[in-house]
Amino acid sequence: MFNYRFQWKQAYAKLPEMLDGAITTMQVAILSMVIGILLAILLTLFRRSGNRILGGFATTWVEIARNTPALFQIYMAHFGLAGLGLHLSPYQSLLLGITFNNAGYLAENFRGALKAIPDTQPRAGRSLGMSDLQAFRFIVLPQMIRISFPTITNQMVWAVLMTSLGVTVGMNSDLYGVTQDLNALTFRTFELFAMAAVIFYVIVKIIQAGAWLISRRLFRY
Amino acid sequence: MKTKALTIAAVAAVAITGPAFADKLDDIIGSGKLRCAVVLDFPPMGSRDASNNPQGFDVDYCNDLAKALGVEAEIVETTFPERIPALVSGQVDVGVASTSDTLERAKTVGFTIPYYAFENAVTANDKVEMATWEDLKGKTVGATAGTYEAIWLEGKVKEWGEGEFRPYQNQADVFLALSQGQLDATVSTVEVAEANVASGNFPGIKVVDKAPMVPDYVALIALREEQGLINYMNLFINQQVRTGRYAELYKKWVGEGEPADLTIKGVYR
Repeated sequence: MFNYRFQWKQAYAKLPEMLDGAITTMQVAILSMVIGILLAILLTLFRRSGNRILGGFATTWVEIARNTPALFQIYMAHFGLAGLGLHLSPYQSLLLGITFNNAGYLAENFRGALKAIPDTQPRAGRSLGMSDLQAFRFIVLPQMIRISFPTITNQMVWAVLMTSLGVTVGMNSDLYGVTQDLNALTFRTFELFAMAAVIFYVIVKIIQAGAWLISRRLFRY
Repeated sequence: MKTKALTIAAVAAVAITGPAFADKLDDIIGSGKLRCAVVLDFPPMGSRDASNNPQGFDVDYCNDLAKALGVEAEIVETTFPERIPALVSGQVDVGVASTSDTLERAKTVGFTIPYYAFENAVTANDKVEMATWEDLKGKTVGATAGTYEAIWLEGKVKEWGEGEFRPYQNQADVFLALSQGQLDATVSTVEVAEANVASGNFPGIKVVDKAPMVPDYVALIALREEQGLINYMNLFINQQVRTGRYAELYKKWVGEGEPADLTIKGVYR
């Protein structure tokens, strides 16, 4: 067993700093999701376009995003791109890495959702005089988002948890980075990381509650 | 008669159950094994040789300690942030991991007397114009997370109110970032800076200046309540210096010259 006495008071004093970190974590997660969803829609369109180059590009993206560790993707966004002369700050690297990952996963989720929408629907729209894009925008897209909404929520949770990988690229303003900094100062490892875990848990619960509210409002039949 | 039998039984019971409060020192001697947490990404204190075996000042120091105890040494690799969890969860018995002895940390773990002292140097990317350590002001700087120099550097950046501090997870990433130009400069121990510049793995970097910190004294660590073990290690460190082994290890791993003085003038320990 642990040979350790917990000193919560010493750790609680650091709570404000950790909550500041939690806000940065939320910021990165939300930004990465908003951009990620837009990119995923774009990738979905690419794959539907029938164009070999665009389709190949989208497939390559999805394959790399889904089949390599997120850690690798974030690391490459920082050190890999720097090797090519493109310097991103830790914040930007983390955001880029998670966004890349989100877009890949979401594109695949959207593909699944599309399978649930009968092909006859956009065709009916076309026969009513809609353009291809209009049929996608007004008939397919709303249903696609609705069907894949639970998986979008899931990916949002992942995005929050993935921010903890930012420390590998020198990030120290997010929740995990702040916790690690404080740990180096005080060595109060268990108290600090337990608190970080609770904060992560609360963030995820808030996201789930928010998603539930949104889905009740948007997807009423 | 009966009381006599009871007394004998009681004495026997005490003898068999033995020392009820065997401490860590006893455990180590009893198990015949000393498990040391060593950071193997911190040359010349700890690294791996061509065949992937642990080597370095700290590795030798752990082996010496094990030899003094008459047990076998086991090197457990940890990163800087992982030293304490490894110690507290019982994965290792002691940390021989260049741990700086700050008062804040001493609230949590037990420190011995210093066994080594570092001086720190500023290393910069060639493309950045720097003459003295004061030019760090306003630059993007970084260091290995969880080290003394990282704490110092982050404090300086906060004090200056300009520039940016980035802690990376290990020494190799810091120097990679420096070499790529992600960082303008870093602060590390003179030993690490010189070893990395000399290695040729990180082109385009140069040592600029000494960093003006008080010498970074590092100590062995054990659980705070293991006074018996800490006491033993204090004497061990004393003996290492006395017998000349400290100077010998310095020469082997760091280079020619005198190792740092581990005493502080004008005060008792």
